Amino acid sequence: MKNINVNFNLNGEDISIDCEPAKTLLDLIRDDLGLKGIKRGCEIGECGACTVIMNGEAVASCMVLAPQTEGANIITVEGLTSDDSLHPIQTAFIKKGAVQCGFCTPGMILSAKVLLDNNPAPTRKEIRIAIAGNVCRCTGYKQIVDAIEYAAELMK
Amino acid sequence: MLPEFNFKRPETLREALKDYSSENYKLIAGGTDMIVEMRKEKDIDYDILDISGLGELKGIKKEKSKIYIGALTTFSDVFTSAVITKEAPLLKEAVRNAGSLQIRNRGTIGGNICNASPAADSVPALVALDAEVNLVSSDGERTLKLDEFITWPYDTDIKEDEILKSISFKPAEYTGYHFYKLGRREALAVSRMNVAVLLNIKNGIIESAVISPGSVMPTPGRVNEAERLAEGNKPSGELFEKAGVKVSEIMIEQSGIRWSTEYKKPVIEQMVKRALIFAAGIKT
Repeated sequence: MKNINVNFNLNGEDISIDCEPAKTLLDLIRDDLGLKGIKRGCEIGECGACTVIMNGEAVASCMVLAPQTEGANIITVEGLTSDDSLHPIQTAFIKKGAVQCGFCTPGMILSAKVLLDNNPAPTRKEIRIAIAGNVCRCTGYKQIVDAIEYAAELMK
Repeated sequence: MLPEFNFKRPETLREALKDYSSENYKLIAGGTDMIVEMRKEKDIDYDILDISGLGELKGIKKEKSKIYIGALTTFSDVFTSAVITKEAPLLKEAVRNAGSLQIRNRGTIGGNICNASPAADSVPALVALDAEVNLVSSDGERTLKLDEFITWPYDTDIKEDEILKSISFKPAEYTGYHFYKLGRREALAVSRMNVAVLLNIKNGIIESAVISPGSVMPTPGRVNEAERLAEGNKPSGELFEKAGVKVSEIMIEQSGIRWSTEYKKPVIEQMVKRALIFAAGIKT
């Protein structure tokens, strides 16, 4: 099968890579580009563990073919800050005990970022709706909602 | 990794139509159904034509009293559209809880229609709005009624070289609407059943009623018998109960008694009743 050249921006860096079309964006980011923040979960778009921000919107990277990202702007959890410091959402997750096993955390944080970018002072209901596509099997949802509420405070 | 295939991303609709008519391609748009399907297979015997970048098939516009939704318009774009919010809030409600935010940001209205799942959330609402599908191929364009376009679960009347260009409808005349979705939970649930209703009530009398259920009949469509029953009458809980019972009768007539009938019959009756009560804005 013919490889496809794909050009996109990942966490502020321009990427140009030849990839097999049968790869999803999830495969490309984890396996070829080595960023392991996003997780391979259900691979049918139900769990949200592979969430990335694509052109400002939360999308499931397991449901995007890698060559479909041509020209797109992608942000993963690794790209939340440009240095080693934590993003306020990350600080809030730690402070509020919102991380248990951690598998859902990167996706949760990215969904939270999209919410807070568009709505800096969300209600708890708006927060719950924003993370409805991210499953946490430790069922620590209350702490996660607390953390996002706290992150909104920190980001004021 | 998915099974192997070749991939092409045409720049224009014209180029896409040419590729599509000459090679063994399947189309991908948002991918939220296609990728799940591809993942089930070990090998696939087709290549992929990615139409997700075709701007010509995106966006919502009002033209000569008709609303046109480009086939590649995402659920999220339908949900946030000012035109849809004003002219077709029924459709806005129908897409509100389709999949998850991640899916609504990628999944397209055209994909939802062409995949023709009986549980598609947009379809009952669009059928209630008497929507048409506008198809295009290298040979020209044709327009079909949406309820005639979907011929069977997961099957449509689309020809091999045709691409769905847009969905169009005239804003309906109504005084109330409701979309009732029943899923196993609120978020990320495939509709077990759903129903879209429109009511036009003048001087306390139902002038016209539209009842369009999903995942109830083998193909989407309005239940005229139940609509006639409601029309010409004063809205009431008893009347809407009868309309619900009529829908379940027609369901059994069309789908036969199935393993799920014991559950579906009383539930669709209540769903129709409740949707009509909401649309009529009455208390019971």
